[in-house]
Amino acid sequence: MLAPSLVLLLGVSVIPLLYSARISLLSFRFGNPYKFVGLNNYIHLFRDLGFWHSLGITAVFTVVAVAIEFVLGLCLALLVAGNLRFKGLIRTAFMLPMVVTPVIAGITFRFIFTSDLGIVSYLTRIIFGKQFNFLSTPELALPAVIIVNVWEWTSFMFLVLLAGLHSLPTEPFEAARVDGASPWQIFRDITLPLLKPVILIALLIRTMDAFTTFDSIFILTAGGPGTSTETVSLYVYNTAFQFLQLGYAAAMVLVILVLLVLVSRLFIRLLGDEASAA
Amino acid sequence: MILRLRSIVLQCGRYLLIAVALFLTLFPLYWLLISSLKSDPELFRSVPTLIPERPTLGSYRELFAIRNVGQFLLNSTIVVSLSVVASMVIGSAAAYSLARFRSPANQSILFAILVTRMIPGIVIVVPIFLMIRAFGLLNTYAGLSLVYTALNLPFVIWMMRSFFNEIPIELEEAAMVDGDSRLSALWRIVLPLAAPGLAATAFFAVITTYNEFVFALILTSTDDTMTVPVGTATLSFKTSVDWGAMTAMAIIGMLPVMMLAVALQRHFVRGLTLGALK
Repeated sequence: MLAPSLVLLLGVSVIPLLYSARISLLSFRFGNPYKFVGLNNYIHLFRDLGFWHSLGITAVFTVVAVAIEFVLGLCLALLVAGNLRFKGLIRTAFMLPMVVTPVIAGITFRFIFTSDLGIVSYLTRIIFGKQFNFLSTPELALPAVIIVNVWEWTSFMFLVLLAGLHSLPTEPFEAARVDGASPWQIFRDITLPLLKPVILIALLIRTMDAFTTFDSIFILTAGGPGTSTETVSLYVYNTAFQFLQLGYAAAMVLVILVLLVLVSRLFIRLLGDEASAA
Repeated sequence: MILRLRSIVLQCGRYLLIAVALFLTLFPLYWLLISSLKSDPELFRSVPTLIPERPTLGSYRELFAIRNVGQFLLNSTIVVSLSVVASMVIGSAAAYSLARFRSPANQSILFAILVTRMIPGIVIVVPIFLMIRAFGLLNTYAGLSLVYTALNLPFVIWMMRSFFNEIPIELEEAAMVDGDSRLSALWRIVLPLAAPGLAATAFFAVITTYNEFVFALILTSTDDTMTVPVGTATLSFKTSVDWGAMTAMAIIGMLPVMMLAVALQRHFVRGLTLGALK
């Protein structure tokens, strides 16, 4: 009963990765005959400033977006946990951004930020007396795509952390209250440590996901203006499907995969420490 | 008395903060909705209106007139149905065997399945494109559905395993003592009990499949096969964007997943964490 699943899963994991490894050693462009070039693609990659630039953009995007999502999500979860009127309704409302098709979320915000009839340009006009065109200004485009990511995914952090808070045992909290601990002490010394495994898992999932964000950035800015929002996902996509350098894109993707594995190992190590300490 | 007052102030602050968060979460969606209901002159007014003065379905009529939006919805419906049904059948079989036939290899199989889910789409997009092209399945429902079936499997297997684990094994054993074969025990006893889990898992798979963009973008490029996200993106990249039609498209495109998400809310967190948190 397992066999069909395993075959299909090999087809989207091991086989594509081996295939990538093979074509990463080729000079493989559409329309041209391919030839074996050894490690040339990898050597080229390490000298490719565009790639390093996109890696830097991706790192800033990921760290800033995930950090904001985490802080906002945790605050919201703490606010909503416990007795609250309309709790179900509120939770459902916060769930919506996450299920909106990312492409459509991108379009929604392109509409909000657009220069001619966008509400943000109108608001900046009346508040600052000067119109801010977020998506066409290099310094503002990255903050704009981060804002959109935060809008889409804070709800993920919120829901997972809220479920985590609800699953915590109640005794330590009661004991602390009896002993006269302040809310801040309770949060710092009881809530946070108990919640740490859930926090790490939520951070791991969001980090992996944010690192490879494609849809909303593709729609909002397509990496521009210039290369100011060109994350690695867009760089891979452009290399493979705009410039048709498939061999080079394959090499790039394998390097990205190694980076992702290293980052996730860090999280898993932290989780492991947590498990062995408990 | 002072303590009461303090707690009332705190409660007010809590509701106020939640209200602000709700506003920020819902305003973009509200803005999109009312913009889709405005007439073109009102949409382009330099001072935007917060409530449409004369709501009209003009943008929706225009949308269906200029482009075959119905076709995109049909394409998405076909691809989503094919791949979700296939992954539910194949994945549930795997999940059942992992839940019931205990073997020492199970833990490593489950972990390996989880790892395949962690591989980001962009990492395998190049080889998958070449593989689907080699099969002659570019721009076909079959090609995209095949990829989606495989991509859904890890989620289906983990979720369904967690649901099967909740069904006491004694029920099946009793049925088998009474003369049922394992298959008929599965059919008569287990599946009816697992029905809510099957539905929740399938709904979830529908949402992620419907929303998927990267693979749909590279595997479908004709109007006859492109899914809603790709069709929407294509519309939005025309040189002069018709924002009336675009906002209408965004609303129509997000409706199906929104409704599913609201239906799913009880199982939402479980789906986000692959059955780890409820």
